[in-house]
Amino acid sequence: MPEFEAIIGLETHIQLNTDSKIFCACSTDSWRVPPNTHICPICTGLPGVLPSLNEQVVEKALILATAMNADEISQASFFARKNYFYPDLPKGYQISQYDEPLAVNGSFELPLPEGNSRHITIIKLHIEEDAGKTVYKDAKRLIDFNRCGVPLVEMVTGPDFRSADEVAKFLIRLRQLLRWLEISDADMERGQLRCDANVSIRNVGEDRLNTKTEIKNVNSITNVRDAVQSEIERQMREVKAGGEIKAWTLDWDDQRGVLSKMRSKETEADYRYFREPDLLPIQTSPSAVAATVSQLPELPLARRSRFSEVYGIPEYDAEILTEERSLSDFFEATVAAHGGNPKRVSNWVMNDVLRLIREQDTLAGELGLRPGELAEIIGMVEAGTISSGVGKELLEQVRSSDRTPAQIVEEDGLAQVSDASELSETAAHILEANPDQVAAYKGGKTGLIGWFVGQMMQETGGQADPKAAREILESLLEG
Amino acid sequence: MSAEICELPAHEIVARLRTGDLTAEVVLEATLARIEAVEGGGGALNGDPNGANGIHAYITLAEERARAQARAVDRALEAGDNPGLLAGVPVAVKDIFCVSGIASTAGSKILANFVSPYTATPVVRLEAAGALTIGKANLDEFTYGSSNESSAFLPTPRNPWSAGHVPGGSSGGSAAAVAAGEAALSLGTDTSGSIRQPAAFCGIVGMKPTYGRVSRYGMIAFASSLDCPGPMARNVKDAGLMLLAMAGADAFDATAAKVPVEDYLDQIEGGVRGMRIGLSPDFSRLRYPDADTGELREQVLQPEIEKALLESAERLAEQGAEIVEGVDLPAVQYGIPAYFVISRVEAASNLHRYDGVKYGYRSEGEAADLFELYRKSRGQGFGSQPKLRILMGMYVSGEQYEKRYYERALRVRTLIRRDFERAFERVDAMLAPTTPTTAFEIGGIYGDSVAMQYADLLTVPANHAGIPAISIPTGLDDSGLPIGMQLMGPDFTERRLLRMGRALEQLQESRPPLVQERVGA
Amino acid sequence: MAPPEDLVTKTQQSDPTISSEIFRHLVRLAALELDDEEAEYLRRELNQQLQAIRDLESIELPTDLPITSHGVPYSSETRPGLRQDRAEPSDKADAILEQVPEVEERFIVVPDIPHTELE
Repeated sequence: MPEFEAIIGLETHIQLNTDSKIFCACSTDSWRVPPNTHICPICTGLPGVLPSLNEQVVEKALILATAMNADEISQASFFARKNYFYPDLPKGYQISQYDEPLAVNGSFELPLPEGNSRHITIIKLHIEEDAGKTVYKDAKRLIDFNRCGVPLVEMVTGPDFRSADEVAKFLIRLRQLLRWLEISDADMERGQLRCDANVSIRNVGEDRLNTKTEIKNVNSITNVRDAVQSEIERQMREVKAGGEIKAWTLDWDDQRGVLSKMRSKETEADYRYFREPDLLPIQTSPSAVAATVSQLPELPLARRSRFSEVYGIPEYDAEILTEERSLSDFFEATVAAHGGNPKRVSNWVMNDVLRLIREQDTLAGELGLRPGELAEIIGMVEAGTISSGVGKELLEQVRSSDRTPAQIVEEDGLAQVSDASELSETAAHILEANPDQVAAYKGGKTGLIGWFVGQMMQETGGQADPKAAREILESLLEG
Repeated sequence: MSAEICELPAHEIVARLRTGDLTAEVVLEATLARIEAVEGGGGALNGDPNGANGIHAYITLAEERARAQARAVDRALEAGDNPGLLAGVPVAVKDIFCVSGIASTAGSKILANFVSPYTATPVVRLEAAGALTIGKANLDEFTYGSSNESSAFLPTPRNPWSAGHVPGGSSGGSAAAVAAGEAALSLGTDTSGSIRQPAAFCGIVGMKPTYGRVSRYGMIAFASSLDCPGPMARNVKDAGLMLLAMAGADAFDATAAKVPVEDYLDQIEGGVRGMRIGLSPDFSRLRYPDADTGELREQVLQPEIEKALLESAERLAEQGAEIVEGVDLPAVQYGIPAYFVISRVEAASNLHRYDGVKYGYRSEGEAADLFELYRKSRGQGFGSQPKLRILMGMYVSGEQYEKRYYERALRVRTLIRRDFERAFERVDAMLAPTTPTTAFEIGGIYGDSVAMQYADLLTVPANHAGIPAISIPTGLDDSGLPIGMQLMGPDFTERRLLRMGRALEQLQESRPPLVQERVGA
Repeated sequence: MAPPEDLVTKTQQSDPTISSEIFRHLVRLAALELDDEEAEYLRRELNQQLQAIRDLESIELPTDLPITSHGVPYSSETRPGLRQDRAEPSDKADAILEQVPEVEERFIVVPDIPHTELE
């Protein structure tokens, strides 16, 4: 039996996070809005209406094209009409781009767990409008046009993926990048990032591409992985059984987790593309492209490598710290303010700051705790001014108040107690109150020292320097 | 003839309203009375094709809307406010423009019950200028024709100069209404001649502005790269006034050019002295395909039209224009074949949206599935002219034909454009007949889609080139039918074309015979 | 979808005509239900129009001749600017739904097309 490999290419649809739709002023936000409310004559294709292009759509699409290293961004790209009948397409054509898209020839280096990476070609990027939404009920289709005219970038990759897992990893990276660039909210469940997958298999070692199937309508990364995996397995079973793969279009039913075949009549394609006469070409001057490139932020993968190289933090830390742009900015600003060991900052950010971010359901930049304040807290712990327990509590207090860490420590008397006479007094008091434990310790149960330190911490409200407390306790117990 | 109020030029109505000599309500009532006298009933679905020997210019009358507008104009006048450029002027809107709250039918069964929730930009601007929207004028179905006979709303409009002749098309109802005094102005559309040809047939002025001069927003699209809304009027000055009220960029039309709008009236009496006006043999050599063999035959112009062309040139020369003969425009002969391709591709796509789902006609009875609903609704809702355009558009834009036909046609359009660019290096405008013949008889051509298209032979080159063109009435032929001459100029030279047109126009001294029959000579 | 065989071969010939088979294909693409009489009229007219269009094929076009999308060229001065990204609710949603032949709880209703499930 020959060994098979899977060949997968993706067609992703990315919803740009503009306020208004691509060709009209209707709001793009229709999550949980009643059907057919965010609609107007333009996005419902009433007779006589014309499209008027949203400036931000062009700008955001251009940002994505440059981030995808597209080496050919058209100076004049054209809109085209893709003509077909479908009830979610009110004009009977979709305004899209065809022979002269915004950009072609990009690439993305997808890191793989083995440490190497997969080179993913981005064949093209183009701008288009979204169609409406269909809900099935009994023998009817119910149509909601709220989503009609929401701006999309369609990004097509080469057949470069070799497993369902790689596809899922790519989508995670893509989602990260889109949010990083602040051009899409990229929430798959809300349809802001969608993915059709072209799947075929071949014998390992072969170069040719076999007949592929196309999986449509998948709305989460897990579902994409499951759908692609189940299609790879189906094709392998089919070929092993001597069958033939047919160029089907498959519909993923996310409720039941099964693929179904769309009726061929429904997928028959003769789109008769032609230039959209209602819109002028998109002009993208070389200077506009240069400006976009120069304003592009450092991208997540580049920042990840820089973090581990420059700051010497583990790959694992760098990965988590660059998952999201605001967090990585926060980390870096804290390191700069702190000036000491970046790994120590990383520990604080990954453990305590991330917990706060999750609790507050916010971004690092909007947490209310500034990098300088975190650096100050870490510094105080390192200097022994406060205990690390107090430091952790300070995070929340600083976040929710206007006071600086130093003010809080001073005004609330949180500074660590390492003064020997003060500690000796407390220690003597504890020994006096616990004669049984003292006897046990003296009888050889020296492990009880931990318990005594605990009592000291409790007594001092956590302010005792545990190291100093231990030394004093030991000298008193053994004296 | 004693001029009635409904026959006053629009600019005179505006002037007399301002002096207090007239009120908008008086103008409106006079116009409604004229409609009552001559219309003989408007077009209706399943109407009597033979009609009642009236003009039948309208599909829908909007008396209530017009009355409210007239009252508003009169109130503004009383309050001393500026009532607008077109205060109190009754305007017939070709029923291809959406007007909020009124049926917007496009002359088709498929939109017969469609009431638009919004109003087209040119209509918004006319109404803002104080115009009274008196009704929606009949037209060829979706503007597809040159005779107005393809409308689903019967009877179709008659030529006011002869009940047996068509008013031209597709803005046939518009031209007939203006010629018969049923409106002072009409808003038409010109994709291959649909303003100029009926204007010529009915003895009025019609102007196709530069592409992008007037917003297309709210105009139900035919061939989007060619469609131009424009004014139809009984005289050149009124056409200029109407254009002034409508022209200019529009946030709702990405192709409406950001070119400043000139004052079309301040120099309109300035004459043509020193202007160079070209004549081209290519607008006199007419190539038609033979109906039986399909072979191309060359024909000459109708002799009276040839004569009118020379007289027009002389008239302009007498006023000091320099007539430049022999300006070559060799590519204009391909205007119709290229138009057959371009307009059908765009039309087929523009007609995709009519499917019985969102608005308009939906087939009766249960449909077995979605596609049957589409087929039945479209099959029953469209007349044969839209169907022809859809099918031809499907054919020539199919992947395997796209380069052979569509792309080739777009390159031929480049040739036509270049011909005009070269010509306008030598002359300020081209003068040519608007139509190869005067109005033809009802039923004479209708049904022969090729012959009907060739009625636009002389008008379509300006649409391909995007340039402005104005048709001017220059007299009657031997059988008493009007003749029109057109002036074509470089992009955005409407002001100069109107000035030339003013020098050329010969206003009719008599009422059209159909109007005479009803209201006297 | 690949075009039917005869569509391809017909284009190689110098005298294109729309056969009844091509015609049926076009009618299906166009989603039109036609009776026989109308179909015959339409096909005859289409073929006459095609003869007129044939004229185009004999024109010699320079190979570098660009296409013209609109007759009037647009320059940076005459192009209208793009629309600012500002959401403004339309007040026409209900009026739009009033035009819809069949509505159910604000949804537009159309008949279904069944799917075929994979085994």
